[in-house]
Amino acid sequence: MAEYKKQYYPGKSKISENRKNLLDPEYELEKQREVSDEDVALILGHRAPGEAYKSVHPPLEEMQEPDCPIRELVEPTEGAKAGDRVRYTQFTDSMYFAPATPYVRAWMMHNRYRGVDTGTLSGRWIVEARERDVEQMTKDLLESEVYEPALCSMRGATVHGHSLRLLENGLMFDMLRRTELGEDGNVYYVKNQIGEPLDKKISVGKPLTEDERKEKTTIFRKDGIGIRSDEEVVQFVQRIHRSRSMAGYQLKI
Amino acid sequence: MAGVEKRFVEALSKKFEEDPKGKVMKHVGMGIEQSERKMEFKKWGDKITKERGISGYDPMLHLGGIPLGQRVLMPYKPSTTETYCEGDDLHFVNNAAMQQFWDDIRRTTIVGLDTAHNVLERRLGKEVTPETINEYMHIINHAMPGAAVVQEHMVETHPGLVDDCYVKVFTGDDELADEIEDQYLIDINKLFPEDQAKQLKEAIGKSLWQAVHIPTTVVRTCDGGTTKRWSAMQISMAMIDAYHLCAGEAAVADFAYAAKHAAALDMASILPARRARGPNEPGGLQFGLLGDIIQANRIHPDDPARASLEVVAAGVMLYDQIWLGSYMSGGVGFTQYATAAYTDDILDDFTYYGVDYINKKYGGIAEAPATMDTVLDVGTEVTLYALEQYDDYPTLLEDHFGGSQRAGVGAAGTAISCSLATGHAQAGLSGWYLHMLLHKEKHGRLGFYGYDLQDQCGSTNTFSIRGDEGEPLELRGPNYPNYAMNVGHQGEYAGISAAAHYAVGDGYVLNPLVKVAFADPSLKFDYSRVREEYAKGALREFSPAGERSLIIPAK
Repeated sequence: MAEYKKQYYPGKSKISENRKNLLDPEYELEKQREVSDEDVALILGHRAPGEAYKSVHPPLEEMQEPDCPIRELVEPTEGAKAGDRVRYTQFTDSMYFAPATPYVRAWMMHNRYRGVDTGTLSGRWIVEARERDVEQMTKDLLESEVYEPALCSMRGATVHGHSLRLLENGLMFDMLRRTELGEDGNVYYVKNQIGEPLDKKISVGKPLTEDERKEKTTIFRKDGIGIRSDEEVVQFVQRIHRSRSMAGYQLKI
Repeated sequence: MAGVEKRFVEALSKKFEEDPKGKVMKHVGMGIEQSERKMEFKKWGDKITKERGISGYDPMLHLGGIPLGQRVLMPYKPSTTETYCEGDDLHFVNNAAMQQFWDDIRRTTIVGLDTAHNVLERRLGKEVTPETINEYMHIINHAMPGAAVVQEHMVETHPGLVDDCYVKVFTGDDELADEIEDQYLIDINKLFPEDQAKQLKEAIGKSLWQAVHIPTTVVRTCDGGTTKRWSAMQISMAMIDAYHLCAGEAAVADFAYAAKHAAALDMASILPARRARGPNEPGGLQFGLLGDIIQANRIHPDDPARASLEVVAAGVMLYDQIWLGSYMSGGVGFTQYATAAYTDDILDDFTYYGVDYINKKYGGIAEAPATMDTVLDVGTEVTLYALEQYDDYPTLLEDHFGGSQRAGVGAAGTAISCSLATGHAQAGLSGWYLHMLLHKEKHGRLGFYGYDLQDQCGSTNTFSIRGDEGEPLELRGPNYPNYAMNVGHQGEYAGISAAAHYAVGDGYVLNPLVKVAFADPSLKFDYSRVREEYAKGALREFSPAGERSLIIPAK
């Protein structure tokens, strides 16, 4: 019997390939920029850099928990071990060829991280986890190919912008103007994700070119790669719909 | 179809005052000064704060004091009208037509007269003739608004406050209808196209029914559960007067029982305790029944798409803006979801694309077989067309700036097309869920968590019709388990179920009595022109009932 090989996403298009890459934990995300731990904490806005993590329970090793086979099976995350409180990170992705979409981010979380509670909406994607775990995930997401400085943005509230036309400087609209385009071509955070002003500007690098965006994007668009061109994806969805309909109650329509 | 002008282009051009295909947002940072309505709100907020000494509306309270309007506060065009209004004008609090839309339903009960007439003739030996019926109608139209007909020294309601209250009758019996005074008759022959009238009269038969509309003020002060009680009390009194009965004799209890229970029809059924609403409240109004309340198929019998879109407009306003948005949730956000389905001719464009596709491929409306293959074919094509419009027109994407708006409208266009293709509501519903699955894959996003939930599992119960597993779509309603929580679905479901029946020329969707009762031109709200009425409300040109100026100080 042939060895089962996980197929993370159907289809043969570049979009499908990109989705497969992001969903596959064996695929190493391409690092595109450096954002320091201190800057990640500043953008998140949950604690000041260097400040101790607030905890909701003592470290697990001090808690003398009863024997439990599940506890033996599941290795706690670093944040859980330490008893960190649960905090969040939230991103908005433009529909104009951002590298990620909310569902792709959620699927990524499930495949690549543990101890996460992720939620998808159309205009934002959120993940909640223990605070130091959130910081690590945020750093991974900000530094890698999942992030595009002009088209992705950390927004805790007032997230409006994912579906809007881009501004004349190429940035995604943000009512609270958390990021700005510097004269050096880099995008800077000037407010944290909830919209509070930062004491310093934090660079997240230069936007990609249009060609680079289309190479990295995970959204099917007619002016990029349309979903009609990836018949396997369409047929796969149709198959799911037909199977669920028919298998459910076997009516012969 | 290629080369066909998009119906939404005109609205987009006027809304944004830019090329609707432009990809760059040029106008930013204008604030509320761009909006006449927001400025009006601010002025009133300042005035109220000063007069009452408690702070009120203050548009500078977003984080950092940044007001709304950092991008274009676009106006909206109720679809098929020439009216442009501000989004605020489509919140039901700001729109008297929307309020009256619901008031006119909530204050309506349909009560049969046959039971009462049987009691009169068989039990009491009284004679019932067209003359006595007309005399009864004269009396009930005095009594129903809150006037006395039996006792002395009674308080009564001011006629000027309850002028929207009246009773009319209808029947499938042409001979009897001819004997009823015109002022009291809902004339099926005059109001409906011939084939619809024939179906309705056959369904109603020789029975005689009253369409009772109690005062708007009463249901606003009490609730929908009051309607039947108020009506039954006045009907009993009118019977006593019209047929010269003893006020205390046991037969009177039969009139009350018939008017409250045996021969009374609610517009909406009572809800379980956890939703805590009585009859004639929106959560119990079945989707199929809304297709009967709305009268656009009577006005546009050859355009079932148009008629279905009016049902959607009715449904999203009632179920999203009023029911989920206020009864169940509170707040103002739901209006944005709902308006997407009845403004800017967008859903119209998607739906008529489907109609063109059906006509070309299957040779006409309701000509396609009701099979999964049809659903996959029509559903996929209309879905991809709709979603590609958001790619082609950036201002369209900006108009429907929330994924739930796009999902609801795209799925509605898809599902109505499937209903129209097959004449089968369940096939339409199947198209809805197919759209949702495809939409999620194309955009990598859909609505919000809860919004998506019912659409991820909807395919499996589409064809479930047993009571504990599902139901025919016409019989489902806002309290159907999976549907009870999410905006952007219920009104569309009403349109989908209606579309199947309009497609095959049915005279009614679920109940012929409701169809006829709401055809009455004396109603304050015109249910054949839902979007036009909303537009009148937005322009502040709609005159509602529920007048109070007669009993309050002049301003």
